[in-house]
Amino acid sequence: MRPVAASRTRLLPALPPIAALLPDGGLRRGSVVRCTGEGASSLAMAVAAGPSAAGSWCATVGMEEMGVLAAAGYGLDLERLALVRTAPGEWTVATAVLVDGIDLVVLAPPRRARPAAERTIVARARERGAVLLVVEERPGSFPAELELEVEAAQWQGLAEGAGRLRSRRVTVVARGRGVAARPVRQELWLPAATGKVVAA
Amino acid sequence: MTEPVLPRLLLVECPELEAPDEDDGGVHLRRFGRVVEALSSVCPWVDAVRPGVCTLPIKGPTRYFGTEEAVLAQVAEAVQAALDLPGEGGRDGVETSEIRQGVAEGVFAAVLAARVGAIVPAGETARFLAPWPVAVLSDPELAEVLVRLGLSTLGGFAQLPAADVLARFGTRGIRAHRLARGLDGELSGYRVAGMGPRLVAVLGHALALQDRQPGFWGGTSAADERAGEVLIALQRRLGTGAVTVPVLEGGRGPADRCRLVTWSPAVTRSPPASSPGSSSAPGRERPKMKGSRRGISQAPLEPPWPGRLPPPAPARVTVGERPVEVLDRSGVPVGVTARGLLTAEPERLSVDGGLWVPVVAWSAPWPVEERWWSPARRRAARLQVLTADGVARLLVIERRRWRVEATYD
Repeated sequence: MRPVAASRTRLLPALPPIAALLPDGGLRRGSVVRCTGEGASSLAMAVAAGPSAAGSWCATVGMEEMGVLAAAGYGLDLERLALVRTAPGEWTVATAVLVDGIDLVVLAPPRRARPAAERTIVARARERGAVLLVVEERPGSFPAELELEVEAAQWQGLAEGAGRLRSRRVTVVARGRGVAARPVRQELWLPAATGKVVAA
Repeated sequence: MTEPVLPRLLLVECPELEAPDEDDGGVHLRRFGRVVEALSSVCPWVDAVRPGVCTLPIKGPTRYFGTEEAVLAQVAEAVQAALDLPGEGGRDGVETSEIRQGVAEGVFAAVLAARVGAIVPAGETARFLAPWPVAVLSDPELAEVLVRLGLSTLGGFAQLPAADVLARFGTRGIRAHRLARGLDGELSGYRVAGMGPRLVAVLGHALALQDRQPGFWGGTSAADERAGEVLIALQRRLGTGAVTVPVLEGGRGPADRCRLVTWSPAVTRSPPASSPGSSSAPGRERPKMKGSRRGISQAPLEPPWPGRLPPPAPARVTVGERPVEVLDRSGVPVGVTARGLLTAEPERLSVDGGLWVPVVAWSAPWPVEERWWSPARRRAARLQVLTADGVARLLVIERRRWRVEATYD
């Protein structure tokens, strides 16, 4: 038998402003990446936009509230986006099935999974070369190879009774394990006035 | 659920141009290019499906030429003239080239219709397909099993419940089943990709052509297949409604502008990106889309939506009800006047009965007045609010109650 992951490229591409945060410049297949902090949803979309725009399929679990319009703005290809809704107890099963054939699975865990279920999902993602992108307010589940945290965020454009939200300047810090242990910081517009992610 | 109807197509087949393997120096392809070009004069939406085979929607030309028979006659004449052009490969006028025509809904049925020279009336495609042997599905394995089960015709196969077909035959089976029921357009592998650019290349000039594979499976990249299989497996496990796909449409608020549709292997979404090499103008894509979108009716994206929220769009759109209290400095609830102004400056808010958070910035309200002419009318106003914790929200007030419509997470 031939390992499936080896037959494909090792990295999923990322948009340039996001690539600057990733130790390999792309998302390593088979890895777990976590987005946390105020603006984690936007950050996850921006991270997912790279692979999606390059032709990968993307599925979400536990993200019933995802703003699809915003996702499209960040560059996700809606033609290859599936939103999975599950009963409360079934999100682990759904995630395990999805990592089998979807390159990028974006998961907002409704609660902690049993460790055994977590291990199954992580092992399966590794075997199949899928990237599991976990979105949480604060780290709580799944051992991640890479932690992306929105440290500071500042909205621009809105005043007292005037203006409108135009863009948000954020500081994202990436912390990895091993060689990527040294934190990397990046200033981003997330989103910029165009709805995209841009390096600040 | 009522199943959408496929576009009714006139399929034109030039058998002598069909064998691309024996096509020395692209002579056949060049002749086919001329045929397609000639047909473009009858109808601008000619779709080159594979060498020697092209389709065009029958509806528009019929309106122009009067009857379907008249369209067929026009087409026959145009194709014949293109084939009989003197020059390389052209006939010497001694014998005329054979062409076949057929009309039915979807490419698959139209191919069969052309085989027998039939014009299948609108809505009759399933009935037309029923007596054909299952062998026409071009899946010998499947056909053998079906025949052994006593289902030798498409009609018999079509009557099996879709869920059973999915369980027994998997994705290949369900695709064949949809074809047999007249719900899907074409056999996978029938279409030859990139016909448009190839024809443009042999002709040396641009052609107004459709060159896009309709349907989710049309792409048949390995990744699409794999993803499709996983999604089907998930639907089998959690129910079909568990997997949805977003469709963008026109509307004012973030929730109006996206609709979730249950995913099915045949669903295609959002306007197709114009394919590389296709020279068709953007306006030309629409008629085809209507058909290939398989009935996902859609409010137009661009027409005027007064009061529409400006970008950027919020990252989270609230599902369900999330009430908010908004108070002014003296603790009085803030409202919106009939003229669309805030009754007072908001000072603090509390989401879902939670802690009070100071408001640091807010927009002027966007009034929403929808369907004022009908009993279903709706008056509301939207407000962007930034609180001291750095969270930006989109609030909406309706019947004096505020709720969180979306969060700019």
